[in-house]
Amino acid sequence: MNVQRWLAVLAAVLAIGLLKSVVPVGAHHASTAFYDATKKVEAEGPVTKFLFKNPHAFLYFNAADEKGETVEWQIELGAPLNLSRTGWTPDTLKPGMVIKVAGQPSKAEGSHGICCATITRPDGSPIVAGGRVREEAPK
Amino acid sequence: MRVACGVLLMVMAGTALPHVRAQAPPPSGEVPDLAGIWDGGTRVRPVNSVTIPWGKANFPELNERALAYMKVFDEATSPKYDCQPSTPPAIEYDPYMMEIVQWPDRVLLRYEKDDQLRTVWLDGRRPTVHDFGIQGFAVGRYESNALIVETDHFVFDITGFDDYNGIPSSQQKRVIERYWRDGNDLRATITVEDPMFLRKPASYSTRWAPAPKGTKLAAFDCDPESARAMVKFLVPRYK
Repeated sequence: MNVQRWLAVLAAVLAIGLLKSVVPVGAHHASTAFYDATKKVEAEGPVTKFLFKNPHAFLYFNAADEKGETVEWQIELGAPLNLSRTGWTPDTLKPGMVIKVAGQPSKAEGSHGICCATITRPDGSPIVAGGRVREEAPK
Repeated sequence: MRVACGVLLMVMAGTALPHVRAQAPPPSGEVPDLAGIWDGGTRVRPVNSVTIPWGKANFPELNERALAYMKVFDEATSPKYDCQPSTPPAIEYDPYMMEIVQWPDRVLLRYEKDDQLRTVWLDGRRPTVHDFGIQGFAVGRYESNALIVETDHFVFDITGFDDYNGIPSSQQKRVIERYWRDGNDLRATITVEDPMFLRKPASYSTRWAPAPKGTKLAAFDCDPESARAMVKFLVPRYK
């Protein structure tokens, strides 16, 4: 294997490692009371609002629900206090930016919440430099 | 005049004049160096949850009153969704930074989470019957290279035991903490007793690592909208 190929492999390994990086969690409540860990929801659409406040950041975006109707989804993230130490800022996700989300759906009937989400650009590339695109559950 | 100025300064600093007695200087080497910013986050220890730090091995033995409380507890009523801070023995295990400042007459425990400050008095003062507070009244001493903190006079708190199990704590809650250095790390054992709800004391041990160089505590500024934004996702306990 030549040097260039070695470097390509090394870069790929590093990229995969970074993509799996987990943003620090600001534990505040048990996620099991709010979200169903046995289910998965996927959605894609434009950001409408990014609330970057402690104890939890919240990301809102428009996407189709299970009936195909466009609704506003609410994604729960960690504490901005910790997120900001890993490169997130209030401007990381601007209104209009299209995102792709996969995570656990909220439990309450008729609600559209997502937790423990993986957030990427539509092509699957990371949003934050360094690949910190995955948010872990508040335990 | 000098005495009057001193008294005035003490009053301005909120120092109660009676009962003040500086702790006798301990023998050399007995006071551990606990000062600094400590990281209790995910890189150091598992995040708190329903089973951490209170798992099968150390989960408290609850009395019937506590069990009855747990049975009717509605998560939506938890004060944390209105930005009320956690208290001992939960606050010590929140996954955030903590700063310790050691002064001759007191130790300051500053928690990044919820901007909380606990003052541990070393000067011999004791709480009066009026000195109740959400973080209680803490007194301490150095003993065998460790800081011992005893806190009582807590107000009643419907989730005063931890953030996850819906166990309340009463004015009878008493928390004993022991902090010591283990190499670069800070370690502690936290013991809680509350005869109103616990059959016997329960305890856990944990550690902090030194915060990365240059770390400063940031303001938490709990936001009421953010604190409550997820509550609508709960399946209602009572309709």
